Amino acid sequence: MFKKILFATSATEACDHAARVAFDMARRYHAHIDVFHVLGVPTRGYSQVVVDLTTGDEVTLDDNYRDLVKEEIRSYYDHQIQTTDDFAITVTIGHPHREILRIARAEKPDIIVMGGSTGASGSYAHKKAATGSTFQRVAKAAHFPVLVINRPAASFWGGFFNVVFATDFSDAADHAFAFAFKLVKELNCEFHLFHALDITCFQTDNFHTQDTIDDQIRNAIAQIRFRYVSKMGDFKPYAMEVWEGIPFVEIVKYAREKQADLIIMAYNTRQTDDPEASIGSVAEQVILRANCPVISINRSVGKE
Amino acid sequence: MPEGTLCNRQPIQTDEALKTLLSDTGGRQYYQEMQSLPVDTPLLWETIQKTCRSRIRTWLSMCARCGMCADSCFLYRINDRDPKQVPAYKIQSTLGEILRRKGRVDNAFMQMAMETAWAKCTCCNRCGLYCPHGIDMGVMFGYLRGLLYQQGFVPWELKIGAGMHRVYHAQMDVTDADFTETFAWMVEENEEDYPGLAVPVDKVGADIMYTVNAREVKHYPEDLAEATILFHLAGENWTVPSRGWEQTSLAMFAGDWEACKIQVESVYDAMERLKPKRMVGTECGHAHRATVVEGPYWAGRKDGLPPVESIHYVEWLAEALRTGKLKINPEKRIKEPVTLQDSCNYVRNHGLKEITREIMSYIVEPGYFIDMSPNREHNYCCGGGGGLNGIGLYRKQRNKALITKRDQILSTGAKLVIAPCHNCWDAIRDLEEEYRIGIRWSFLKPLILKMVEIPEHLKPEE
Repeated sequence: MFKKILFATSATEACDHAARVAFDMARRYHAHIDVFHVLGVPTRGYSQVVVDLTTGDEVTLDDNYRDLVKEEIRSYYDHQIQTTDDFAITVTIGHPHREILRIARAEKPDIIVMGGSTGASGSYAHKKAATGSTFQRVAKAAHFPVLVINRPAASFWGGFFNVVFATDFSDAADHAFAFAFKLVKELNCEFHLFHALDITCFQTDNFHTQDTIDDQIRNAIAQIRFRYVSKMGDFKPYAMEVWEGIPFVEIVKYAREKQADLIIMAYNTRQTDDPEASIGSVAEQVILRANCPVISINRSVGKE
Repeated sequence: MPEGTLCNRQPIQTDEALKTLLSDTGGRQYYQEMQSLPVDTPLLWETIQKTCRSRIRTWLSMCARCGMCADSCFLYRINDRDPKQVPAYKIQSTLGEILRRKGRVDNAFMQMAMETAWAKCTCCNRCGLYCPHGIDMGVMFGYLRGLLYQQGFVPWELKIGAGMHRVYHAQMDVTDADFTETFAWMVEENEEDYPGLAVPVDKVGADIMYTVNAREVKHYPEDLAEATILFHLAGENWTVPSRGWEQTSLAMFAGDWEACKIQVESVYDAMERLKPKRMVGTECGHAHRATVVEGPYWAGRKDGLPPVESIHYVEWLAEALRTGKLKINPEKRIKEPVTLQDSCNYVRNHGLKEITREIMSYIVEPGYFIDMSPNREHNYCCGGGGGLNGIGLYRKQRNKALITKRDQILSTGAKLVIAPCHNCWDAIRDLEEEYRIGIRWSFLKPLILKMVEIPEHLKPEE
């Protein structure tokens, strides 16, 4: 399931929680882990000078500098690196999302692990180049599952045992289900299939009675059976539920109630380059709020 | 004194030599060697006799030193009106002096000339507009750069840049395979949203052959994706050449005349091979100058034109919007104060001043577009033109040069600057990082993509 992990990191505090999960997965599942860091964005036109994303300084790039940064990353993750002997550290320059996508396309990892927003930490250049939008752009375009840990993954104690699959019945959700089901089978997890019925639009529409909502809940349960459960054969440890409310809130609440250590869901958005729509999709809201890792899957995952 | 191992009169011809020069961080050894680089004065004088034609000789001799050019030069104005920054002084004290001394100049003189040619002139050609005799120092500085390059007195980054063109036929180490592969990657990323999206490579007889800037391939391939999507939405019959796709020319900035010819001929070869009706180049100013304006002369083309009609991206875009090939959703037009950077290389030097404003009329809600002052052919250089953006040695001078553009932008009150030129885009990004005035900057393609209507038959199935 996880033989090759690409851990894309800013090597700052923002990625500490992600590092814990990434290295734990590598150890637990005997996976190779690629620690990947984009050290700077190119500047000065065509020149060799880059703005170091961590320090904000302008540096002239050469092999010595690359080696220095590699060594710093090694020291930063020294404690975790000692738990695995199958790892590599790669540093490069460029725009972080683009370079993560580039190496993913070349290396074909089973999963990409990333931290969340760099928030208040990091330099001016880093914020401009990386905050939030890096995840959005990677999640939209990657042909691989993307696991993001934004908040301290309080309910992640090592390994995955209790998985929530949240569906919006989209095409991408079908891909997410295929991945989730493979994961729960291989890792012997409990599987919680969940749909949140969006009732935010009902506030302005008085025609929707509670009966209508109940009907829609029943329909959604039927859909879960038809689209997913029918494909699960004799797999037993599963449950399914549909709650009404604001989808991202309900997903986070449900995961908390089930003490989930992983949420898997589709990533549906086409507005990733618009900074004003930066927190647009349900998946992004869940990532911001969940206290466990979230794997997002777009329509392209599993295509190859 | 012998020539240096890195700083010498030999152009870069191999990948190995490129890597060796690149490994000299910041050009430390290179510039150290330059301190003792001898000037081959017989070669310098011989070259001048062969290449310095009547136009430049006439300009140099007819210049009345009237100083009318002084205020036209943004570098003069921003450097406390230092008389040594008057364009006429700058060219007379360098190229003029070399001619008067019949090439008998020394190392110190050449280093002074190098700084003048690359850090005190961006070849924006604004002075030529204001000189009563029409004398264009920018053109003469371009010529002086050629003499300096031949003698090995060229900034480290530009020696590398010219070498890239010789080795890769591109300004960066991007191979032909990288180029087509990156386009394929961008199709992969976007074909779900745009069914049927494709990049035809080496299609013979297409209406458009598209050429790019290697930096798009190397660092922001989104630009390639955006171009692909817009051609797709416009229903264009287009192609990219698998060889001869690089439209830019750092060789032009470096003064490496031979590499200029090699580079532009690779693009013209692609035109001859694929026989497109037109070539469209990306949103780059100097690339247009190199391939469309000056290139034909480097390639020795008698008609002074590329093999097929060649236009800038803004010309194609204005046409697509005018004819309705691309339709803008009026609801999505820009509704915030926005200004436009006029690129010297295709506005002042190729007359495209109204085309970009026509585009503004389609994409900006009336009342929100604010021109800089001065504008059109009178606009100032972004501050990083002519190669100055990329030269570490002259970073301080470049940052000072950005102040003119900074203040022009601030005067408009706009927070969004549209810069359909790579060099201007870079300079404006850098000025924001240097001076933090709270602006955003953008090429045209990403803006258009946010507001263009997708024809029904090209929409993805929901």
